[in-house]
Amino acid sequence: MGSMYRASKTLKSSRQALTLLFNPVKSIGRDPSCSGLHQAYGFSSDSKQNSREPAIDLTQFPSEKIRNFSIIAHIDHGKSTLADRLMELTGTIKKGHGQPQYLDKLQVERERGITVKAQTATMFYENKVKDQEASAFLLNLIDTPGHVDFSYEVSRSLSACQGALLVVDAAQGVQAQTVANFYLAFEANLTIVPVINKIDQPTADPDRVKAQLKSMFDLDTDEVLLVSAKTGLGLEHVLPAVIERIPPPPGISDSPLRMLLFDSFFNEYKGVVCYVSVVDGMLTKGDKVSFAATGQSYEVLDVGIMHPELTSTGMLLTGQVGYIVTGMRTTKEARIGDTIYRTKTTVEPLPGFKPVRHMVFSGVYPADGSDFEALTHAIEKLTCNDASVSVAKETSAALGMGFRCGFLGLLHMDVFHQRLEQEYGTQVISTIPTVPYTFEYSDGSKLQVQNPAALPSNPKYRVTASWEPTVIATIILPSEYVGAVINLCSDRRGQQLEYTFIDAQRVFLKYQLPLREIVVDFYDELKSITSGYASFDYEDAEYQKSDLVKLDILLNGQAVDALATIVHNQKAYRVGKELVEKLKNFIERQMFEVMIQAAIGSKIIARDTISAMRKNVLAKCYGGDITRKKKLLEKQKEGKKRMKRVGSVDIPHEAFQQILKVS
Amino acid sequence: MLRTTTSPIFSSFTSKPRTSRLIFKAFNVILEDTPPSARRNASTNLTTLHQGPPTSAYVHLPFCRKRCHYCDFPILALGSSVSNAPYEEKQEDDPRITNYVNLLVREINATRTCFDTNPNLKTVFFGGGTPSLVPPKLVSLVLETLSSRFGLCPDAEISMEMDPGTFGGEKLKELMDLGVNRVSLGVQAFQEELLKACGRAHGVTEVYEAIEIVRACGVENWSMDLISSLPHQTLEMWEESLRLAIESQPSHVSVYDLQVEQGTKFGNVYTPGKSPLPSETQSAEFYKTASSMLRGAGYEHYEVSSYSKDEGFKCKHNLIYWGNKPFYAFGLGSASYVGGLRFSRPRRLKEYTNYVADLENGAANWCGDGNVDLKDVATDIIMLSFRTSKGLEVKEFGEAFGRKVVNSICKVYEPYVESGHIVCLDDMRREVMSDEFKKLVGDDEVKIEDHVRYLRLRDPDGFLLSNELISLAFGVISP
Repeated sequence: MGSMYRASKTLKSSRQALTLLFNPVKSIGRDPSCSGLHQAYGFSSDSKQNSREPAIDLTQFPSEKIRNFSIIAHIDHGKSTLADRLMELTGTIKKGHGQPQYLDKLQVERERGITVKAQTATMFYENKVKDQEASAFLLNLIDTPGHVDFSYEVSRSLSACQGALLVVDAAQGVQAQTVANFYLAFEANLTIVPVINKIDQPTADPDRVKAQLKSMFDLDTDEVLLVSAKTGLGLEHVLPAVIERIPPPPGISDSPLRMLLFDSFFNEYKGVVCYVSVVDGMLTKGDKVSFAATGQSYEVLDVGIMHPELTSTGMLLTGQVGYIVTGMRTTKEARIGDTIYRTKTTVEPLPGFKPVRHMVFSGVYPADGSDFEALTHAIEKLTCNDASVSVAKETSAALGMGFRCGFLGLLHMDVFHQRLEQEYGTQVISTIPTVPYTFEYSDGSKLQVQNPAALPSNPKYRVTASWEPTVIATIILPSEYVGAVINLCSDRRGQQLEYTFIDAQRVFLKYQLPLREIVVDFYDELKSITSGYASFDYEDAEYQKSDLVKLDILLNGQAVDALATIVHNQKAYRVGKELVEKLKNFIERQMFEVMIQAAIGSKIIARDTISAMRKNVLAKCYGGDITRKKKLLEKQKEGKKRMKRVGSVDIPHEAFQQILKVS
Repeated sequence: MLRTTTSPIFSSFTSKPRTSRLIFKAFNVILEDTPPSARRNASTNLTTLHQGPPTSAYVHLPFCRKRCHYCDFPILALGSSVSNAPYEEKQEDDPRITNYVNLLVREINATRTCFDTNPNLKTVFFGGGTPSLVPPKLVSLVLETLSSRFGLCPDAEISMEMDPGTFGGEKLKELMDLGVNRVSLGVQAFQEELLKACGRAHGVTEVYEAIEIVRACGVENWSMDLISSLPHQTLEMWEESLRLAIESQPSHVSVYDLQVEQGTKFGNVYTPGKSPLPSETQSAEFYKTASSMLRGAGYEHYEVSSYSKDEGFKCKHNLIYWGNKPFYAFGLGSASYVGGLRFSRPRRLKEYTNYVADLENGAANWCGDGNVDLKDVATDIIMLSFRTSKGLEVKEFGEAFGRKVVNSICKVYEPYVESGHIVCLDDMRREVMSDEFKKLVGDDEVKIEDHVRYLRLRDPDGFLLSNELISLAFGVISP
């Protein structure tokens, strides 16, 4: 079972996808504004606000009555279902979504992923401890994306929490994402509440999973909760465990206000909505607040909690999690991780987050050169709600005007491309994904390269050193596939860091791999050699020194910038030969002979030729009926539009797509 | 009546043409720098050629004994009973032929135009099908009808496609007496196995017989049709066919490269370029061989697939097509070009019958009102003139469609002039060398058409890639 393949599903239920799901897919293309997408949301929350009286009184919940937690799990281990059940249990949403009144109001949201909204939600829960009087608690369930690409977002969501439910499937046991997420939570000093889910399954083996949790994470097997979110079995123990084991938020209520901005999205009616966690002090509607990173000040126009939709409360107290609306224009003003404080006070800024690191770059070009404006428009709208993509204009001799986009990882990139095509109908050519490299020259200068074409093929100064980013990859797999996977990893220049048995059947492998080696087809390859039984996850690691070279592809002597790649010297010949072969298959015969070469600097390392087209002649125009032939010629003309011309060589779009896909 | 009003539009040959309306319909960008004089000079302009009355007629006689395996034309197969018979007798009374010709005559008679002048027809082409299956008596009826309806020049070129095994000396003589003066003989190949493989209704013996008949009857202007790239055809076979063709001394040879069309027997069985069809390279070799052997034997390669002994033997009827000039067409599935409209008649007999009835009561619209999309005209001209060895008349084209288009086309073609696929000629038809052409194209001050009068595809390399080259120009005209 594979994490990346399934990860798109995680993404759906993730906070990252919040924007995605708030954006009704169908209306995006039509809506001229950046975020008409939130229309439904704004409407419903407003009406909710008006209809739901009396307002919630947050003053009843001092820090000690608050628990902030998240649920972390490998894909499909039941995170969403568990979240739903907990919300049903607390009456935050109605069971089975069956309440007609609720449905009527929020049908749109429901269709578009109520789970998403509901998952970063405030719940109220009466905790009854033996022999004691029941006591009301405010529980904030803060959603986290499951996938590693968004691990920086996981960290930021986790930083608003003090604990996490670590959910593991009773049959599948610990998987790669379980490991990755566990360590993120562990590093964030969160209290882990282990939950084995799906214990109702016939193949459930909770004892084996308990043993794994013990051996992998040193978790106390007595503390593991056994539940079935599906049947409700054992569910009643979850929230009491959250309250008992997870500490309340540590903030100081009589200190000046300090809030962590941990997310934002755009709402057409409200403007930018910021998700905040109040660390110290309190906030009331009408307060003037300042943002430490941007230095901007705003008035708080609305403040409330997500219950599960935006619900005004007029205030937020220490330890509470909610939203504020300030009349900010774009999400760009809301820097995730920023510290918000009361204007004219002085506070120590919160540690914040590491800035987003873009680890995968690719050029995005309109498939038809004339569509550049449409692409610009689509990208602008997309990035309006996904600030995690970096975008810079670039021009390619082969592909025309386009953009160099930076992504958090592969999945992030895939989702972005998919959204461009699906939501905006934009046909794009994306260049081979590349990672950020550093080159050092003999004159001491250093060059950061996000686009291989930007690296001089014949530099003035000699390259003295080069560095590439690496990742620490976690692979969990049935032991019979270990040999094949070790071969794959060493072929990808991986360095084994760990090789342990989780139990009798499953092996845990840890590798340091150059990021470049996994950006394209590593996961597909892994899946294929393990029949889909391996799970894989990775986290960014440091740069390593590597012998890197630029590989140019030349057509009739002219380098095609869009096909340039940076490869390890040892692999250059192989990659060059493969690229030349592939190009030969994808480029059709032209009126001239076409010479394809792969070169490092001025050294040709692979070559082939496509012989000239011999015949493409008009047939007889019988009886003067030229219409059919003309249609043929028109078609041929249209075909030429789908070509990118480099020098005198026409390269079909498909060739780029295919070559870029498989290399 | 086809038109309820006699529109002043059809006054194109008077001093007040209606070009301005046409010209601004489309093409406004490209035409912006067209000299006004060119626009006014309607009667000679390429953009108004189609407005005049046609002087050519294509007549479709769709009967065949059986359908050839490569054929997707609208034909009516008569079956084998006809093939064994003494031709003259049996076909005389075949009601299918008689009925069809009657329908055809009705169509011709129902054809009304609104041209101010109705010049006599200068060319008539009987195509098929196998027109030689039609009894001369019925051919005569068609010619008489054409003559009374449009008039027929005394020296009109009257061509007829004839297949070996479908006519004897007597029949040919009769046809010649009726005015048929050009024979297009569908030989296709000189190898028994190839004729069989493509489902021809005749063998090699009939081929030789037919050639003998044509020569014995003294048909001066006759063409032999050959097909290259047939399944199992080898270069040796092709050379043999060409040699035997040359030995037969036709005044004209048409060489067609086999097109594998969908829905034909060949289309169901063969893939172009794949065995037993020759590869693309072999097939190109066939084309080149034909060009060099026939030119070596004194034929002029005046069109992609046409060769003629001298100027006088070029097919005048086909030159009308290549010149983008108007022509009538009558009969099943035939395509006409009148008043700027390219119109194809129904390919099925039943629908065609209905069409003729509609035509008779004025309900059918086959004739254009003279309005055309100028981009269509421009691309038609490009496509058609590049088929000929004369090529595109740059100056004339520029006058009609604007200098900008000419410049852009020249720019696009520059690499192909350099590679030799395209030939530039000055007004004396001397070749303009590629480096000079490059200079001309690069210099914005220079009027290219002052130095380059014609652009044409080089024989054979340019002709071989005509689709590629023509579609490049299409891209310039309508991007």
